[in-house]
Amino acid sequence: MLDYLSQIRSLQSMLQGKEISCTQLTRAYLDAMDRDNPKLNAYVTATPDAALAAAKRVDEKLANGEALSPLEGIPMTLKDNISTKDIPTTCCSKILEGYVPIYDATVWKLLKEQNAVLLGKTNMDEFAMGSSCETSCFGGAANPHNLDHVAGGSSGGVASAVGGNLAAYGLGSDTGGSIRQPASFCGLVGLKPTYGAVSRFGLVAYASSLDQIGPITTNVEDTALVYDQICQYDPMDSTSKGAQGDTASHLKDPVQGKKIGIAKEYLEGLKPEVEAAIQQAMKTYEAMGCELVEISLPALKYALPVYYILACAEASSNLGRYDGIRYGYQADSYRNTHDMICKTRSAGFGKEVQRRILLGTYVLSSGYYDAYYKKAQNLRGSIVRTFREAFAHCDAILAPTVPTTSFPKGFTSQDPIVTYQTDICTVPVNICGLPAVSIPCGFDEKNLPIGMQLIGNRFAEANILNLAWQFEQATQGQFNKKVEGGLAL
Amino acid sequence: MSWELVSGLETHVELSTKTKIFCGCTTKFGGEPNTNCCPICIGLPGTLPKLNRQVVHYAIMAGLATHCTINNISKMDRKNYVYPDLPKAYQISQYDKPLCEHGYIQLSNGRKIGITRIHIEEDAGKLVHEHGDTYVDYNRGGVPLIEIVSEPDIRSIAEAREYVEKLQMIMKHIGVSDCKMQEGSLRCDVNISVRPQGSEEFGTRTEIKNMNSFTNMEKAMAYEYDRQIDLLESGGKVTQETLRWNPDEGITTPMRGKEDAHDYRYFREPDLVTIYTTDQEIEAIRQELPELPDARIARYQEEFGLPAADAQLLVKYRKIAEYFEAASEGLSNKKTVANFILGQIFRTLVTDEEKENGAVAIPPEYLHDLAKLLEDGKIKMNLAKTTLDKMLETKKPCTDFISEQDMGDIDEDTLRSICQSVVEQNPKAVADFKGGKDKAVKALIGQVMKQTRGKADGRKAEALMVEMMNAMD
Amino acid sequence: MVSREEIENIALLSKLFVAEEELDGLTKEMDQMIAFADTINQATDAGEEFDNINGLQNAFREDEVVPSYPQSEILKNRDGGVDGFFYVAKHK
Repeated sequence: MLDYLSQIRSLQSMLQGKEISCTQLTRAYLDAMDRDNPKLNAYVTATPDAALAAAKRVDEKLANGEALSPLEGIPMTLKDNISTKDIPTTCCSKILEGYVPIYDATVWKLLKEQNAVLLGKTNMDEFAMGSSCETSCFGGAANPHNLDHVAGGSSGGVASAVGGNLAAYGLGSDTGGSIRQPASFCGLVGLKPTYGAVSRFGLVAYASSLDQIGPITTNVEDTALVYDQICQYDPMDSTSKGAQGDTASHLKDPVQGKKIGIAKEYLEGLKPEVEAAIQQAMKTYEAMGCELVEISLPALKYALPVYYILACAEASSNLGRYDGIRYGYQADSYRNTHDMICKTRSAGFGKEVQRRILLGTYVLSSGYYDAYYKKAQNLRGSIVRTFREAFAHCDAILAPTVPTTSFPKGFTSQDPIVTYQTDICTVPVNICGLPAVSIPCGFDEKNLPIGMQLIGNRFAEANILNLAWQFEQATQGQFNKKVEGGLAL
Repeated sequence: MSWELVSGLETHVELSTKTKIFCGCTTKFGGEPNTNCCPICIGLPGTLPKLNRQVVHYAIMAGLATHCTINNISKMDRKNYVYPDLPKAYQISQYDKPLCEHGYIQLSNGRKIGITRIHIEEDAGKLVHEHGDTYVDYNRGGVPLIEIVSEPDIRSIAEAREYVEKLQMIMKHIGVSDCKMQEGSLRCDVNISVRPQGSEEFGTRTEIKNMNSFTNMEKAMAYEYDRQIDLLESGGKVTQETLRWNPDEGITTPMRGKEDAHDYRYFREPDLVTIYTTDQEIEAIRQELPELPDARIARYQEEFGLPAADAQLLVKYRKIAEYFEAASEGLSNKKTVANFILGQIFRTLVTDEEKENGAVAIPPEYLHDLAKLLEDGKIKMNLAKTTLDKMLETKKPCTDFISEQDMGDIDEDTLRSICQSVVEQNPKAVADFKGGKDKAVKALIGQVMKQTRGKADGRKAEALMVEMMNAMD
Repeated sequence: MVSREEIENIALLSKLFVAEEELDGLTKEMDQMIAFADTINQATDAGEEFDNINGLQNAFREDEVVPSYPQSEILKNRDGGVDGFFYVAKHK
């Protein structure tokens, strides 16, 4: 199998052609998980019973000669911040120890309706706050390309599982790069959809105005197939708009004459191999008949602090509810209610989460609101305008996903600001609610994957996936390198 | 020195929607704990609010009924504070762009109490304390509220009471709330300060939270007024603080300790979108509003010639006002109908709630028919009154009690012979009369009425009998 | 420069305990983060008002009752609660 061809379609044709039953396929994945998950630490909860039950339903349909929905019978995974009824959803935080949702997130409801086979829930930075997956209370997930390196974050577990062939695809969430960065680190495709394209109902909130659910897959076509199934308007989410869901049918559209914006602001401070890979990708696009257009995004300079102010402010509010009363961890010895709540939160949240809550509380507190939160909100408006103006001159923007490649485990700096800097290329997209897809485009000196992102105008997913797919074709998938281990088909 | 009271009220009114503000759970009062709940209103991780359209509609009605300007563009904000009755640790409310602003309520003394703003928000759950343990029930969590904030225009306890009563009457009248203080669907926070009579500056204020009855409100205000004056007169200073009224001891006590340091960190609710109301939509809601109590009272006085007190009593209960209008429709003597309602009918509606519900035993048509007979001169007032009592008792129309014979006047000869026999049969009354007791004749009239089934003209009967008795030795 | 007292107050608002021995370190760390956040105040751009990403308005639901969850489900993550209530805490 060529590594850049749709896994979802080939698995489905195997099922339809009775080469393998869905139960056999599911068992094969579950066995691979038993064998390889201890190395990767991708999954934090395995759900074999639910998976086999879904597989059985699919096999019954196949036996009756019924047609399958696009994602039916495909083994997959969900990041552990997507609510799943009767299946623990912990956000990899001690504070949600033992919490079992009593309802399904809308995305999971949509997939469950078409018998998606959920293999388990995957690892992540605690409450999606981190860039290495190492703030997880279960410990970090490993990079399938090099087990001494991190899978990235925050959706590190999804990337580790999909990259390690322990799931055909997975859904992560992206608040400041949490889908694209691990996809980039693990040589995968990851799409952060336009804000409002995919329902957030059931996604445990980190920063509500920035969060968005999206797929991580091994190739562009699978990303399109999954996205098309989940981008539905949801009446439960007031910020939901939904989208056409026809990106898969536009993958093969011609790209000649399309204008690709290049902003110098994105090309500063890159690791040399990353810079070289991006330059090479530009050449590839030129060779494909695209036009490179120089654009300027001056407001980008403030994107990172704006992001941290807004994300932490919203997080400080969103995470207030973990008080030990209704669900999750509760401190066992205390003097009174206030004491119980403080002890629960202090012991339940990890250090990075506490830092972000404190910063968020600070920027919203009286006396500081105008200088931080309000100012950041206004600059958000400026950054939105900057991109709006840029899209008057180009169809998509090409940029690195991360200035670097995956870092060694335990490398995360003691200085939080240094760590935050690695999000510099991913956060502007969240600030503006734009769609962006990260695709592999090279390898560094240690053979670790390099990723690049194509950023589109709002709801232009079809356009960026088209450009991404054509790149994959033009480069014959040479960057979608499959690793050893996991399920070998 | 004499001191002036300065007060402003924050009134929370629970709206009469069928469902909560952000989810489809019922707003029904009472019920087993945590049975009117869902993942959204207990704030489970990942849930999102969805605004109930009717809440916005009702709030705009409340704003229009209190002369507010309705903001075309409005938004929701988060008010952050951690408390066990608040499952998300923030209350979704409105901060700087409320739905309604700049209204007023006019009191009977002519003073206008300014309304700063009316905004929508969600209610919290209910804490229960027992034997040192605390429990929580979220049934009330997410029930929609409007908060009506007044200007510090109130100058006396009586004004405060009238302001709240008036608000209550308006909200009930337009149907946005049942405003039951005892069930907590209307609660007040009272801001209060004092200043030397004639001073223009405001003193430092305190806020007394959660007044849930008029008695408590009046007592707490009186206590706080005295406390502040005592403090100032003895050279002390009033501290700006939030107080709780302790009805058992009759004192106010500070509510928050150091642990409850608060800074609400308001910011725009990112899970909800802008509320945009066009001028046309606002106009349409204005058209839909029923006649407001003040206008109705004025109309009853001007058009129907009712005394102010009667008009106010009728309008106090919307259903009673509607009953009155239905019963008196097409009649010229509205006042008689009003008197029937405020007299005999009100005697059968003992509680406020019964009046509230307009639970009159007979439909307004029955009262109308009775009043019509009276107006057409077919029956006399006495017969009408006794008949109404019977109607209320049996729930039957007046025709069941009044026969054809009862209607119309009795001819002079018949009346004369009945009077004659009454006078003859009551020698004691006659003697009393002759002895100077004019009142004795009243008893005789009663007898005539009884025999004529109320048909007789009382004054004519009296004249006849006086004449007869005077003619006797 | 953020003070220890400010950090203590922010922690209280956030309902987090900070041990006395950690306070100095945390204050320093927060000071760095606040300094980082403060770089936005170098922006000459006054910015523009931000509403919501897609400029959405009036996302309402109709006032129609949806059945509530059974009490046992609501209290499921607290082993069924106590007499139908969530238990909050015991006071000394």
